[in-house]
Formats: sequence, structure tokens, C-alpha cells
Amino acid sequence: MGMLREEDQNHLRREFSGKLVNPVKIVFFTQKLECMYCQPTEEILTEIASLSDKLILEKHDLLEDKSLVDQYGIDKIPGIALIGDRDYGVRFFGVPSGFEFTSLIEDIIDVSRGTTGLTLDSREKLKKIAKPVKIQVFITPTCPYCPAAVRMAHQAAIESDMVTAHMVESAEFPHLVQKYGVMGVPKVIINETIQFEGAQPEPVFINHILKAAE
Amino acid sequence: MSETRNYDITILGAGPAGLTAGLYAGRGGLKAAIIEKMMPGGLVANTERIDNYPGFPEGISGYELAQKMEQQTRKFGAEIISAQAENIISEGKYQLVKLSDGSTVKSRALIVATGAFPKTLGVSGEKELLGKGVSYCAVCDGAFFKNQPVAVLGGGDSAVQEAIYLAGLVSKVTVIHRRNALRAADSIQKIAFANKKIAFAWSKDILSIEGSSRVSGVRVMDKQTLKEEVIPASGAFIYVGYQPNSELVKGIVNTDQQGYIITDDKMATSLQGIYACGDVRQKLVRQISGAVGDAATAAIAAQQYLELNA
Repeated sequence: MGMLREEDQNHLRREFSGKLVNPVKIVFFTQKLECMYCQPTEEILTEIASLSDKLILEKHDLLEDKSLVDQYGIDKIPGIALIGDRDYGVRFFGVPSGFEFTSLIEDIIDVSRGTTGLTLDSREKLKKIAKPVKIQVFITPTCPYCPAAVRMAHQAAIESDMVTAHMVESAEFPHLVQKYGVMGVPKVIINETIQFEGAQPEPVFINHILKAAE
Repeated sequence: MSETRNYDITILGAGPAGLTAGLYAGRGGLKAAIIEKMMPGGLVANTERIDNYPGFPEGISGYELAQKMEQQTRKFGAEIISAQAENIISEGKYQLVKLSDGSTVKSRALIVATGAFPKTLGVSGEKELLGKGVSYCAVCDGAFFKNQPVAVLGGGDSAVQEAIYLAGLVSKVTVIHRRNALRAADSIQKIAFANKKIAFAWSKDILSIEGSSRVSGVRVMDKQTLKEEVIPASGAFIYVGYQPNSELVKGIVNTDQQGYIITDDKMATSLQGIYACGDVRQKLVRQISGAVGDAATAAIAAQQYLELNA
């Protein structure tokens, strides 16, 4: 304990008590060995979960809990799935620290409410998607533009049953950085077919998702 | 969506100027809408550390300052709408702002606080290699260039500050500048000159950014000798100043040659009911402290205008 300052804890307690509706399961996937960022991730999640009765932290092992690993589509650690009244497809891979801490908190609130602040227009478009879409957002914890992209992807996942969205912390997954040639963040990869750099305004981002789902 | 929402005052942009204008408007009892296409905070949120904003003797991260400003603005009731303003129509005494979602925001007073954005160089390779070594954000992307040589293009405060930041990560930083002296503040220059990892390429015109799938170097020409060379770099971080985000009001209010909005000392523009504040306004110094000062004036002047023309 002790990653969050007391004033931040109090602020989050108030936020959660005012805004959470349904319970949220924070499903955390880890491994006993060779995971440098699993410990700090677990510490952050433990602290967050202690701030509201509506938050439940579950811990699973990547190698031992095979059925859950498959169910939630976890292929790397640390991995987090946020589950509300159902699985909206919101995932974090890598420690959600730095600027991404805010993304995690806002996602927890949205998942709990089962709704987002996207415009009516975007929400209607997303609901019509009929094909599976996987969005990967590469970030660095020091990137102030990145939460906008992560949040947009996660909000799209909440609004559409077909969309799954992953935050991927670049430093922890060099093989993916290599694979996708990431040299600038935020970098967004949708269904392996569409990729773009930089935070984009909502309508532009949504159009990219729709295009990938065509 | 063709819905129209009515407010007393509309503010374009949620950087320090827009947020402060919203704070004063809200506190003054006005129904205020702030339109922002990205996250609230503006350019400040992208500044690693701010040491010259009063009230924070230890300095404060730009992101934290932006968040605090946003909280304070929301506390006084201003609404922040996440959308892109696409068009402004002046209709009698009303200003109509058309948003990207098809809806319209209507009010009698409008404050333009759209700020400025990093200038591009406009050289070959810059667009093509964006995200492949070309970057406008050292704190975001510096980590991808660990132990590699990079170049910083520019010589002002931001350029030199980011060069110092990058020197902590990379093998070598070459600051490429078109003059033979930096424009950055003395205190920042001293730190940069003392850093052994930072080299300077003076009086160079930048011709292109080289590389096919990723940046390999920056092609420059010496202004005196006219000799060309390629400075090897895996990353090119561009900090060559800013340009105003005033496209929306071009032709509606007067701007100067560079596009900065011209105002009087009440922040009023050439069109009644429209005010401008912060970096988008023509002025000598663009600092956060100046932006919030402008914004307080603009909000109060706009409120007086609304009361006098009720």
C-alpha cells in the first residue's frame, strides 16, 4: 500500500461513491516469475479496489488459470480485464501508471455504468457494427496524448459488443513494438488492417473503427 | 443530430485560457459551454514541467495543472462539450457554433481560446516519417530511442528543454538551429551547454528528413558555407514554434498576417460579442500566466456586454 496519496484516495472514494452503479470485477492476470511490472500493477489495483465496496479484485495466474485466460483473451501479463454487468472487452496490458492511471479510473466508472460520454451519433454507429473488431492502443506512461486514444478505444468497446480494446504499454512488450514498428505514441492498430498515429478527434477515430468493421 | 443548445456564452478551446474563461463565466452566473475536441488542458498538458506559473514553488507537471484547472472550472458549473467546432455563423446578435456531431451551440457571446499548435517544418520526409522517428512530443516518444542518436530541430525554450529531457535517454542529441545562438532562456541554455550529450549544429537550414521506413538522419545546409550534410539521427524531434488555431474565425474577425486574432485591451475582436484570449491572440508573450489573465478579462468583458445588450 501507499502508492496513492491520501488526498487522491479521498478524491477517488468520493468519485466512486458518487458514480459507480454496477459492481466492477477487476480481473488481474499475473505470473509468479519473470514479470517485472506485475507487482506494481497488483499494488495499484489492490489500492483502487479498497476504495469502494463495488470493486472486486480477482487475481489469476496466466499459466494455471487456462480457462479464464481463454475466456478473456489474455495473451500477456500483466493483463487486466474490467468486467461490469457483462464483459465489455476493456483490457489493459502493462502497468496502468502515469497518465494511464486516469484512463483506468474513468474506464472503471464507465464499465460500472455500462455507458460512455461518446456522442449519440458515435454510439449509434458503433452499435451497428456486426463484425469483431480488435483495437490495440500503444502508449507510454509519460504521453499526455495517449489517454485520449485509450479512452476512445475503451469507450468504443463499451458501446459495441463487437469491439474489444487493449491498452498496450510499449516498454513492457518490445516484441509487439517491433512487430508493429511503433516509434511514436499513441499508435492505434485496428484489426491488423488499419493503423494511425496520434490522438484523433472522436469522429475520426470512430470512422477508423467503422472502416475496419466493413 | 440537428439539435440546438442555448447558452449565455460559448468558449472555444479548453486550454488554460478557455478553462479560465469558463471558470469566470460560471462563477459570474452565466450558463457557459466550453467546446474541446481533445482532452481539456491544451498544450499545457503536454509540458513535462512548469516552473514559472505562480503558486507552485516546487513546479508542477503540466498535466496536473491542467487537471486542477479543469476541476475548478467544472466546480463553477461550466459545461465541457467534447466535440470539434466545425463552423461559426454570426446570425444577428447570436453566434452559432456548428459541432462535428451535427448539433449547434447558440449564444450571444463567444470567446475564442483555441490556442496555437506546433508548427511543422514543411520539409520532405516530415509527414512521411511521422511516427517512424519524426515526433513533436519528446516525453511521449523519447523512450523509443534509448541509446540511439536523435536530433532536436529548433532553438527556442521548448526545443532546448526537450533536448535536455532526451539527453537523459538517448546516446546523443544534436540541436539543429537556423541561427548561431539559441533563443531559449539563459537558465535553460546553461543546463544544455553543460550537458556532454548535447551537441549543437548552428546556422543550418533544414532540407529534409532522411530515411525510408524510419528516420536515419536530417539533411542540412550550412548557411555560410552552403555545404550540405546529413546529421545521423534515429529520431527527429521538431520544435520550431507555434501557429495560431484561428481557421474557424478567419473572415469573421480581424487577424494579423500570421493569423493571430487582433483584440483591444478588453479582449474584444473586430466583431461585437466575439472575444479572444490566450495563445490565439496577437500579443508579445505566450505564457500560461498571460493566458489566464487574458481569459479573466475576456469573460468579464463578455459578461458586461451581455448585460448591456440584454
